[in-house]
Amino acid sequence: MNKQFKKRCIIALGFLFIFCLGVSVSAVDAQMSSREMLQKADEARGNAEGIQWDISMDSIERGREENRKLRVIARGYNCLVDTLTPANLKGQKLLMKDRNMWFAKPGLSKPVPISPRQKLMGNAANGDIASTNYGDDYKIIHTEDGKVKNESCVILELQAVDNRATYDRVKYWVSKERLVGLKAEFYTVSGKMFKSATFEYSNNVKVGEKRREFISKMIITSAIIKEDVTTIHYSKPVLKKVSDAAFNINTLTR
Amino acid sequence: MIIPTYIKKLFSIMIFLFIAVLVWWPQIAGADDAGDAKSPDLQQRKIDAAEPSDPSCIEKIKGCFFGDLRILTYGVVQKYANSSQNPHNDFIQFPHYSANLEFRPDLRLELNYLELSVKPRAKFDFQIWQEGERDGETKWRDDWYVNEWRVRLKPVDAFFVSYGRENLQWGPSFLFSPSNPFFSDNGRSNPYLEVAGMDFGRLVLIPNDSWTMSAMVNTDEGRNKGLGLEPFETTFAFKIDYMGAQNYASVILSRKDDTGALGFFGGWTVSDSFLLYTEGNFTKGKKALYPVNDVSLLRAILPNTPAINNFISLLGATLKRLYPDDSNIYPVLLFGGSYTLESAGTISLEYTYNGLGYSSEEADRFYRIRRIAARAFDFDFGGIPKLVGQYLLLQSANSGLKFLRKNYTMLQYHQSDIKKMLDLTLRWTQNWDDGSAQFLGIVSYPMGNHWELFSTGAFNAGNGETEFGAFLDYQVMLGLKFTL
Repeated sequence: MNKQFKKRCIIALGFLFIFCLGVSVSAVDAQMSSREMLQKADEARGNAEGIQWDISMDSIERGREENRKLRVIARGYNCLVDTLTPANLKGQKLLMKDRNMWFAKPGLSKPVPISPRQKLMGNAANGDIASTNYGDDYKIIHTEDGKVKNESCVILELQAVDNRATYDRVKYWVSKERLVGLKAEFYTVSGKMFKSATFEYSNNVKVGEKRREFISKMIITSAIIKEDVTTIHYSKPVLKKVSDAAFNINTLTR
Repeated sequence: MIIPTYIKKLFSIMIFLFIAVLVWWPQIAGADDAGDAKSPDLQQRKIDAAEPSDPSCIEKIKGCFFGDLRILTYGVVQKYANSSQNPHNDFIQFPHYSANLEFRPDLRLELNYLELSVKPRAKFDFQIWQEGERDGETKWRDDWYVNEWRVRLKPVDAFFVSYGRENLQWGPSFLFSPSNPFFSDNGRSNPYLEVAGMDFGRLVLIPNDSWTMSAMVNTDEGRNKGLGLEPFETTFAFKIDYMGAQNYASVILSRKDDTGALGFFGGWTVSDSFLLYTEGNFTKGKKALYPVNDVSLLRAILPNTPAINNFISLLGATLKRLYPDDSNIYPVLLFGGSYTLESAGTISLEYTYNGLGYSSEEADRFYRIRRIAARAFDFDFGGIPKLVGQYLLLQSANSGLKFLRKNYTMLQYHQSDIKKMLDLTLRWTQNWDDGSAQFLGIVSYPMGNHWELFSTGAFNAGNGETEFGAFLDYQVMLGLKFTL
């Protein structure tokens, strides 16, 4: 009896061990490296070959509201932003070719070169509306576990690889289950947080044969003035190969 | 067969109205305003990017048309400078006031392999003179024209062929664009006035992300008819552009009137806030008019009377294309930089060395000719000298030089969205050789989503025998722009 009990205990423990092993193997974070998770999260916010989408930006800055609708074509570090509304800004264009930036508007005979410091609107940096490529732009310097609204996450501390990245340092919450970025904090070179963002994924796209969630909303909040909020809605995403001509300054003005 | 002017005008008006109506159609069909952007239905619905629903035929056609309509109304107040170039405002005859109304529809059809665009214009103005021989006169004018149009074929993604009337501009500089062999005005001193288009044929090849090659020919001056006395010459140009990660550069080889020129521009994004750039050209010989102590031509063609001989002797010099066959190379070089402040304002500084400009001796001779021409024009010497004076004043106003002298500096401050309301540009241009200067201000204030209040002002400092003091003391423009 005693011997049989022992045997059952061993079998039960064996089952328990196998069960625990199974659970841990099924957990995504055990299968993926942090870098792979970051790359998967990027796929939900952009496309290496190119993307076109419409963006609606609603900004509240120092109590003033502003709304803008943009059409964005992006590929890697290149991005073309065409303003659709409001009417008096319609046709204004921003071309980002790596770190070279040009601004053109109807009536202005030729595009004006501008510096990367000149941001688009509100709290949003130009990089926020382009295709996201954190996997290439940043290196992971630290990881830890965390939660966003009870959803288990890996918190990735990212450091810019070079000056082409929009931010110097980013703290990025990536869902372990859904493999999408849920939250980010953006830091200055001195280590001070200057804004934070949350992300929603109501759109969906087909990547290979699989469907996956795709970004639909980003809410950026200033860390200095909490009332300053910029909401970016992403709609009509089309993943496509974008030609070099789309980012050519000779074709910018019509 | 000569077509009467009124038929031409009627035809232009009909085309303009037809196109203006076409502009409205896509606007109404695709009514898309800021309000829509906030629609929760639009924003929250799930969109399948991989398999978009098949658009209807009407939507497909609608998606190929793009139209804008801008209506500008503005008033201009200006005061002529009483210089030898424009004595008592009798030569150029600037109106003191003018009220203007402009309709500017832009229409575009974009298909996979073909793009058509047209920018017809209707302009009405009312002018009032308060100085010179036209003092007290008023005049209504209307002008119907197509400022730009273009047919562009895109047989493959990386190759474009186009022909049309265009405002072809490039280069990073603000003051002017010396690398551009076609346009002397880059449109940046008053963005509310359009630069008149010229006719171009173009081939553009984009072999990869970094390089672009363009071949272009300027076949006609189009609407860009200056007051110059030289006939139009076809210009050919070949341009190579390079775009790197944080720099860019272009070289432009051009040929006009059997003379070659080498233009260039380039820029470097030094840091997030600091840009450096340069632009320039090298030309063989000088095509502009230069003062020369030679009146033999005048003596040969004018009647031999004591009054005329007296006038020619007094003049002692004329303006001539002195160095067209000169084998020397003359540079025009512009160096600039801009710095964006934390407040988002941008300061730009440019220095220009104009190797084609007049030396001090040439400038003295130039102003002496102009003084005597002005006196002749003012009846001091009678009929024929008055005509000669008029001709010389026309020459001096259109010497073929963008800038008369050699050394210039431009300092500019620009800031957009000041307090989320105001765009502001302030610019100071200094001629270091004669001490004259120009101050320029451009302000715009959006009023809602469709209206914009704007004002520009140019104030010139310098006496009548300086570059900036020759034409206007000041010019102020105040207007309202409506965008549909």
